[in-house]
Amino acid sequence: MAQNDYSNMIAADVDAPLRLEDISIYYKTAKGRVQAVRGVNLALKAGESLALIGESGSGKTTLGLGIVRLLVKTAVIQGSITYRRDQKEVEVLDLAPEALRQFRWQQCAMVFQSALNAFNPVLRVWEQIWDTAKAHGWRDKEAVRKQALDLLNFVQLDADRVINAYPHELSGGMRQRVLIAMSLLLNPQVLILDEPTTALDILTQRTIITLLRRLKEEKNFTMIFISHDLAIAAELADRIATMYGGRLVEVGPTDQLFYSPRHPYTLGLIRAVPTVTGGFEELSSIPGSPPDFINMPSGCKFHPRCAFATEKCSQEEPDLEPVSNGHYAACWHWREVKVEVDRWNEVRAAAAN
Amino acid sequence: MATTAVTRPSAEAAPTLRQRLRAFFGNYVVRKILKALITTWAVTTFTFFLIRLLPGNPIEQFVNQLIVTYGIPYNEAQDQASALFAIDFDRPIGLQYLDYVRNLLRGDMGMSILSPGTPVTDIIKTWLPWTIFSVGTGLILSFISGVVLGLLMAYRRDSLFDHILTLYASIMTSVPNYLIAIIVIVFFGVQLEWFPIAEMRGVLSPGIEPGLSWTFIKDAIFHASVPVIVYTITGMGGWMLTMKSSTIGVLEEDYVTISRAKGLKDSRILTSYVGRNASLPIFTQLAIAIGFVVGGSVIIESLFQYRGIGFTLLQSVQRRDYTLMQGVFLMLTFSVIFANLLADILYSWIDPRIRLEDQG
Repeated sequence: MAQNDYSNMIAADVDAPLRLEDISIYYKTAKGRVQAVRGVNLALKAGESLALIGESGSGKTTLGLGIVRLLVKTAVIQGSITYRRDQKEVEVLDLAPEALRQFRWQQCAMVFQSALNAFNPVLRVWEQIWDTAKAHGWRDKEAVRKQALDLLNFVQLDADRVINAYPHELSGGMRQRVLIAMSLLLNPQVLILDEPTTALDILTQRTIITLLRRLKEEKNFTMIFISHDLAIAAELADRIATMYGGRLVEVGPTDQLFYSPRHPYTLGLIRAVPTVTGGFEELSSIPGSPPDFINMPSGCKFHPRCAFATEKCSQEEPDLEPVSNGHYAACWHWREVKVEVDRWNEVRAAAAN
Repeated sequence: MATTAVTRPSAEAAPTLRQRLRAFFGNYVVRKILKALITTWAVTTFTFFLIRLLPGNPIEQFVNQLIVTYGIPYNEAQDQASALFAIDFDRPIGLQYLDYVRNLLRGDMGMSILSPGTPVTDIIKTWLPWTIFSVGTGLILSFISGVVLGLLMAYRRDSLFDHILTLYASIMTSVPNYLIAIIVIVFFGVQLEWFPIAEMRGVLSPGIEPGLSWTFIKDAIFHASVPVIVYTITGMGGWMLTMKSSTIGVLEEDYVTISRAKGLKDSRILTSYVGRNASLPIFTQLAIAIGFVVGGSVIIESLFQYRGIGFTLLQSVQRRDYTLMQGVFLMLTFSVIFANLLADILYSWIDPRIRLEDQG
């Protein structure tokens, strides 16, 4: 692994609550290794929210599961995950089972996509909350109950009713909110939200997004949003990281990534989303499909689908390099992308007038 | 409802008889019990007529026996038989049926035809406990071991442990249990002489009186042990396979992954999250299996000469003891139907989702 400016910068960020260094994850299958995540470097700042975006199969969920070490047995994770709280550092990948169990939810909670099925159908919400608290050493039932009621109120649920309900008595949106409330129960430092709004209808999505926004503003958690939905990422994230073929291809502040993308893949993702002001003629999908993880293309993994691709792209894989302050992209041709983006922005500005 | 309230405000307070009846019959448990009663009646009626369609009647069977064993001429034998049994087979069958039902409603199953003077209820009372004891013990042992092993098999899926036990379980579910019983008798009992197969016949050794004494308990266990082992090792297979597949299904559920993400202890996840949900479908089966405790023993009891209700049933069928057959069949029906009723009620009690659906 070539050391470069970006990974050096990550390694130097010793104050980060969560620091991923050179994370690789592969699955052992009958057909061979499936390399789902390759050499990801990422450091989260305290209190920031970072969105991890990409198509299905870009490795974003695998990365999220890897952080709390919930990958299936056939998966192998390499690299280093450093977690830091109150001046104490732990290497997550070295945690013993019992310490790992304590780490989960108490330090790093993960809210899953499929909240519909997130609860044990035979236990009441309260029993599941108490189970969680008890597993982390809480003994005071009254205190936990009070805390749980507060959190359920915070997520705007009828706390007294919901806490005694069975999961099937709650709607999908309510369950998602209960899960979010539960994730806050032990006051973790890091929250990972894997597609928190995907399975919900549009109005419920809105409620959840508003809720997550309040969470970000009022509770100051460090959050990772995993999403394929750019609009949600734009609304909730301070920074966005684009993943493609298991790699980070672009990282930067939300505004910059949105208005001045420097990687053709990010640009493609943005163009694939219709805007209210723009016409349909501007819409374009990214040709082709995500790469086959067993037979990865050579060079830049995106080159077979890229309009900017040249000979070099099919031979050498670019590393993340700075394109502006705090904004990195892994593309040989980011300058050409810049020209294209500027032209496009002009067209849009003209159309808006 | 709203319009009624406007026009007749008093009607809200006192529901009409019709509404009350509807509420009563709409109740889940009441509905199930009614169905059970109707089924019992139907089966009782069918058995009454069906056993009379069997070739030969008790007198003929007895006459044949006399002719074969003592070489008495037919006429003489028939006179003897008629003198012994006070039954009138010329009475129209419909009236016989009405008599039967009338007596049954009073709890009277009649006298055994071939053991004159002995009420059928007494015979059942004497032999039924032995079957409940042996088959019941076998069922409990096989259920517990099957569920635990099935759970472990699912946890260690594709390991050697899983492969060996799956093979064992498949053999046990596909081979009838009486074949296993024969293997046990011939191989372990007769050839290897691991246990005294001849001494173990019957439910008790001669001279031992039922009572709360250690000798009695020891002897009862001694006589029941081999049948119980057979019931256990054969019954286990089904429980193992069902529990395994059910657990595999549950292990893939999101709430199991999430419970791990929540940092719950493995033991807690195994019992309350995986075990409890995986055993839901099994409880219904257990309740049904309880129903077959009474009837599931006919061949095994004959093989081991273990005198329980199954053995009694086989004898009564061979000798066409109509009243005894009716009695035992009624017991079988009753236990199966009751077990199904229990299964329904139990399931609605352990799975909150079903409870709610039926309140609507």
